[in-house]
Amino acid sequence: MSNLLLKVENLSIAFGGLKAVDDLSFEMNHGEVYGIIGPNGAGKTTAFNCITQFYKPDAGKIIFDSKEDGMINLVGHKPHQVIGRGLVRTFQNVELIASLSVIDNLLVGAHIAFKSTLPEQVFRLPRARREEKQLRARAMEVLEMLGLTHIAHMPATMQPYGHQKKLELGRTLMMSPKLIILDEPAAGLNEVETVGLIEIVQRVTKELNCGILLIEHDMNFVSKLCNRICAISFGKRLAIGTPDEIKAHPDVQEAYLGKSDKESGGGEANG
Amino acid sequence: MNKVFGKIGKTQPYFGFLVFGAILSFAPVLMNNTQWFLFAWLTIFAGFIVYAIAGLGMNILMGYGGLASLGTAGFMGLGAYLTMVLTVDAGFSFFPVLFLTILATTILGIVVGLVSLRVEGFFLAIATLVIAEMLRQVFQQMPLLGGHAGRSMPAFPTISLFGILEWTLNRNQTYIMLVIFLVIAMFITQLLFKSATGRALSAMRGSESAAAAMGISIFRGRLLAFALASGFAGAAGSLFMFFMPFTNPNHWNLVLSLFIFAVVVIGGVRSVAGTVLGAFIVFAVPQLFIARLPVIGDISGMDFVFTGVLIIIVVLFYPAGLIWMPAGIKNSITKLIKRKKGGETT
Repeated sequence: MSNLLLKVENLSIAFGGLKAVDDLSFEMNHGEVYGIIGPNGAGKTTAFNCITQFYKPDAGKIIFDSKEDGMINLVGHKPHQVIGRGLVRTFQNVELIASLSVIDNLLVGAHIAFKSTLPEQVFRLPRARREEKQLRARAMEVLEMLGLTHIAHMPATMQPYGHQKKLELGRTLMMSPKLIILDEPAAGLNEVETVGLIEIVQRVTKELNCGILLIEHDMNFVSKLCNRICAISFGKRLAIGTPDEIKAHPDVQEAYLGKSDKESGGGEANG
Repeated sequence: MNKVFGKIGKTQPYFGFLVFGAILSFAPVLMNNTQWFLFAWLTIFAGFIVYAIAGLGMNILMGYGGLASLGTAGFMGLGAYLTMVLTVDAGFSFFPVLFLTILATTILGIVVGLVSLRVEGFFLAIATLVIAEMLRQVFQQMPLLGGHAGRSMPAFPTISLFGILEWTLNRNQTYIMLVIFLVIAMFITQLLFKSATGRALSAMRGSESAAAAMGISIFRGRLLAFALASGFAGAAGSLFMFFMPFTNPNHWNLVLSLFIFAVVVIGGVRSVAGTVLGAFIVFAVPQLFIARLPVIGDISGMDFVFTGVLIIIVVLFYPAGLIWMPAGIKNSITKLIKRKKGGETT
């Protein structure tokens, strides 16, 4: 399988006695849009935090087809080293930098592309100036793709929520990653904004040829975008399949809607 | 849209810094030619300039690194003592002394940072306080440094060109040298804030997790901010020594560190002009104006009361610093006008 991008193997992490992620395995291919769904508290974000090394998993491997070194295990990397491997993430609660303008927020996403030293930057020596110019142009390209060039120099966190969500996605594009991890990209967006986001994600996968791994509650959004979905509940994998297969899967229905009275023998009420 | 949100990152304050430096340089001219700029004021101004430089370092650490240090005075004292030893005992001239002092304090900053930046917030403040107190003990105990009584050196720096040309600056020239270094410090700070590293530091302060996800090493960023703050403090201590030429250990105590903390809070976090304004308010205004008031001026410790009250007022009304006061007033006036014009609007 040379097409493999990310392979999560037997990932587990526990907080005290709570097994937030329990023996989770799945794999995704290059250029694929892959969804993770599950009820609240299923361990989706925790799984993401393990993949991006914000949490250190107790067990398991995260095999990733990195930019330079081929297949590597991400476990053991520091959080800030992960982006250099070609994997970038967004956050559930938008994490833009309040004190910076829109374009500067995008440039933060290109941090590892700056090779100039501090004195070079402070005294505006040629290399630092050249880098700044190139990456600013790149940031404008990204803004153009997002349709946000008109707000480039405005404070980022004063923008409407929909724009902020797009900006966070834009920030991940600065380093041309191989895999983007989106934590609830459509949460809090209205219908028009959601449709716009779907278009952008589709363009990103096509033009940059990168894979996207996302968590989302909006089933409609997931069905439209994702090639495959992994459904989890209480940290365990329930099922993997196409959106339609997942919708029809009895375990998934049970996890979301509870057991029907007939199946559970009318014993207990599921709230 | 533009009017509502304003634009940031477009203003170029560098020309303003130069004008500011030029205005400050006029103080000796006023002193020599007019009655109202007193001889003693130049010392007050020199003090304010030195503390402004330390304040700029503090602003990098606080405003950009998001860290609090109570060790500034220790690093300033180290700068002052190093300057004395290098000048008197080693016989170096002005520029090598300044360079070596900044280098040494920066390196010490890195060493201290490597150890103490594992903790943050309150714990870091305590850790830096301990370092500063340790340094002060060294100043007190080492016979070379003059012990409790302190030690002085020949006044004003000597500039040497390869040991061939040598001249010693007079008081006014030394003052102007201080102004030049203040302007340089302002330039460096502003240029740093606007650079990629400045953005990285902002990101770190704004959201640690976002910064880490974008490949910014939080530890390295903090270490950098701490090293820069130490270097600025060292430079400030060195320049202090060249102007005042006397130092004793008690000058470099916790109170001074807190005052420099106050400089940043009162003037304006993340603002170069604000820091300089803060330094003027904290270090020059009490001596220039308050000490000259009848009755109030005679009470000792009035400068503490003044700074304390000011901090409360600033935190209540201008939490971003007094530098934003004109903008705030302008805002309230336009609001008032709008309300009158538009009748009752909420």
